[in-house]
Amino acid sequence: MAADTTNAPAKIEAGTPAWLRGLGGLAGFALLLEIAPRVGLVSPYYLPPFSAIMVALFHELMSATFWTALSDTMRAWALGLAISLIAGVVVGIIIGSSSLLRTLTYSTIEFLRPIPSVALIPLAVLLFGTKIESTLILVVYASFWPVLIQVLYGVQDVDPVARETARCYGLGTFAQIRYVIWPTMLPYLMTGVRLAAAVALILAITSEIAIDTQGLGREISQTESGGAVAIMYAYVIVTGIIGVIVNLGARALERRLLSWHPSIRLDTAGAVR
Amino acid sequence: MLEVRKLRKVYEGASRTVEAIRDVNFSVGQGELVCIVGPSGAGKTTLLKCIAGLLAPTSGSVVLEGNPVISPPPAMAVVFQEYGRSLFPWMTVHDNVALPLKQKKMPAERRQELVRNALAAVDLANVHGAYPWQLSGGMQQRVAIARAVAYEPHVLLMDEPFAAVDAQTRADLEDLIRVLWHRLRVTVLFVTHDIDESVYLGQRVLVMTHAPTVIMEDVAIDLPDERTQLETRSMARFGELRKHIYSQIQLAKQGWRPPGQ
Amino acid sequence: MNGAAVLVRRVAVLLALPTALIATWWITSAGSQSFYFPPLQTILETFVKLWLSPQAVPNVVPSLLRFAVGYFAAAFLGIAIGIPVGASRHLRNTLEPLLEFLRAIPPPVLVPVLILFAGIGDEMKTLVIVFGCIWPVLLNTVAGVRALDEVLAETVRSYRIGRFARLWHFVLPGASPQIFTGLRQSLSIGIILMVVSEMFAASNGIGFALVQYQRTFAIPEMWGGIILLGLIGIVLSLIFRAVEAWLLGWYYGLRRAQRAN
Repeated sequence: MAADTTNAPAKIEAGTPAWLRGLGGLAGFALLLEIAPRVGLVSPYYLPPFSAIMVALFHELMSATFWTALSDTMRAWALGLAISLIAGVVVGIIIGSSSLLRTLTYSTIEFLRPIPSVALIPLAVLLFGTKIESTLILVVYASFWPVLIQVLYGVQDVDPVARETARCYGLGTFAQIRYVIWPTMLPYLMTGVRLAAAVALILAITSEIAIDTQGLGREISQTESGGAVAIMYAYVIVTGIIGVIVNLGARALERRLLSWHPSIRLDTAGAVR
Repeated sequence: MLEVRKLRKVYEGASRTVEAIRDVNFSVGQGELVCIVGPSGAGKTTLLKCIAGLLAPTSGSVVLEGNPVISPPPAMAVVFQEYGRSLFPWMTVHDNVALPLKQKKMPAERRQELVRNALAAVDLANVHGAYPWQLSGGMQQRVAIARAVAYEPHVLLMDEPFAAVDAQTRADLEDLIRVLWHRLRVTVLFVTHDIDESVYLGQRVLVMTHAPTVIMEDVAIDLPDERTQLETRSMARFGELRKHIYSQIQLAKQGWRPPGQ
Repeated sequence: MNGAAVLVRRVAVLLALPTALIATWWITSAGSQSFYFPPLQTILETFVKLWLSPQAVPNVVPSLLRFAVGYFAAAFLGIAIGIPVGASRHLRNTLEPLLEFLRAIPPPVLVPVLILFAGIGDEMKTLVIVFGCIWPVLLNTVAGVRALDEVLAETVRSYRIGRFARLWHFVLPGASPQIFTGLRQSLSIGIILMVVSEMFAASNGIGFALVQYQRTFAIPEMWGGIILLGLIGIVLSLIFRAVEAWLLGWYYGLRRAQRAN
């Protein structure tokens, strides 16, 4: 790939533009899903043709079960995410502002962080059965850490001179947080939100599959065991679409907030996918 | 040794076409040190890349030792301006210099010898095990030069190699190039925007016009072969040559075209 | 303060909070009559007796084995597919939306789907891990290959570095920081899938044992399983970090040097 020199105009897009190619990729995949079961590449029991899945999806969109399940999942996701965000920001600012607290808690955080949230499943089942609290335990435990870690990075990045100046001018704790800490921390927090939102969705669905709490995950496992395979795939596609919306939404939010942020941190945004 | 005939390069864009190089003709004899100088936007880098085989010309040809250049030839080595991005950050200095040699199928001892000699020639005998990012800018460029030297090329192409280093380092590196050129008897084609540098280094200076580029003039540098920063740059003849080329460049900037263009 | 004292102090600070927390847990649960929260002492005794004994091997070993096979297969496939896709703009444009969609499907969803195809045996669990872990690696490999430095790519071309050497010395190391980001995400996803697939439908495994203990209200054993999973998560994370530090040492050095400027 020869780099163009300063004289050269931008590379011409040979033929089809990028988005059209992407659309082609998706269409090609759908076509594959349509043909493979029909020609017997895969058994149509395991993988119904794409058209059958679409029909099932269409029917589900008309049914109350679908919308209840969807709202159950989104409720658990949103609630869990909100709790971890608040907890993560509060704990993060408190710990991050004191180097003593940072050193003391470092080992604990590094110790607790890699513990898989799914380890708590049996405990959650014992305590709360299939109620939403079970899901919340998993979601909050998993999405708390990305937020906390990013907030810690953000608070540590605050310019110490600005901090000192604020203190000298007698700004109270809240004012300091609002005017000094928060703006620096914001880009990092956005990265944390993006990571946490994705993780929260995964754990919400995990809980529904493993614990059988209400939601899309439960519909998927039930339709699988009940043999309603086309409907199962319809739900799978829906979870994928939700996942895409959550990812895109988080990225859009991040970009929006960073575009008018004075110190754009290029190496936090877009670094982790 | 190296012949460029009727070289033309046109960039086709979505909305416009840019003729970077219109008609460049020149030849370089064996063992010569030729500088190419021109205003910014003169397509110097485009020219060098066409000669190096990295870019295909729209028409015309580059002939090296009788063979047409269609892809990077083994007898040529290139030193790029951005030394920081041209060295592999995950390899030590030694491995960076040795890598191109591994392609050339030679016994390991010979390869080690070439690497050792090349690093010694650029005065970096004791940083074999360091990583490029541990070195200063000038030292990094020396590593890139050592890598080119170890490759034992017949022609050494240099694309504004000292544009991104400070003036003192640049002076040292210029002298290094002349020393290497004398010792290795290699043919050197040196692209620069620095007129003083081109006069100091070259036996000939090719002055280029603005895009669409042609060669304005082929100036013979009749300064003595032994050159030093202090002496040579204060010679009267140096000043004359410099002034001449400078005024040519000014003409070029004002859009001068040779008759018939 | 001499060296030893500094070391002691550092270890003390490291262990202060965890020790305090564990001690609090021990003390507050010591006389516990609560069914779900037995004394920490009981939990630890059961843990050693059960999970660290040969009795646990038929559950722990298959789990870890399935995880290892699935994870490394996913890593290999993700990198192998990601490299050509990342290198070709057309392939990237065509496949990226599709891949982003497939990646956005929460991996545990694959468990019921793959049960359809592969039953509830070892293959299903390993396949689930492969299918879940491949996406972060693949997409990050694509991003890493795409972001390879252009000047370095041209240097590789100018020195006629062959296809395999190019892959091994340029593409892989160049993309490795980004690839490791993907591998790290895949690690957490793999652990989740290992556990969930066993909780859902299995005849052996840590997840399976955990569910059994929970259903039969063998509470201390269940807690032991939770602690074991926690330890596995920590150990895997440490191993990953060690490997990353070994392979990406050059990258940290490079970034440090860049930040210093």
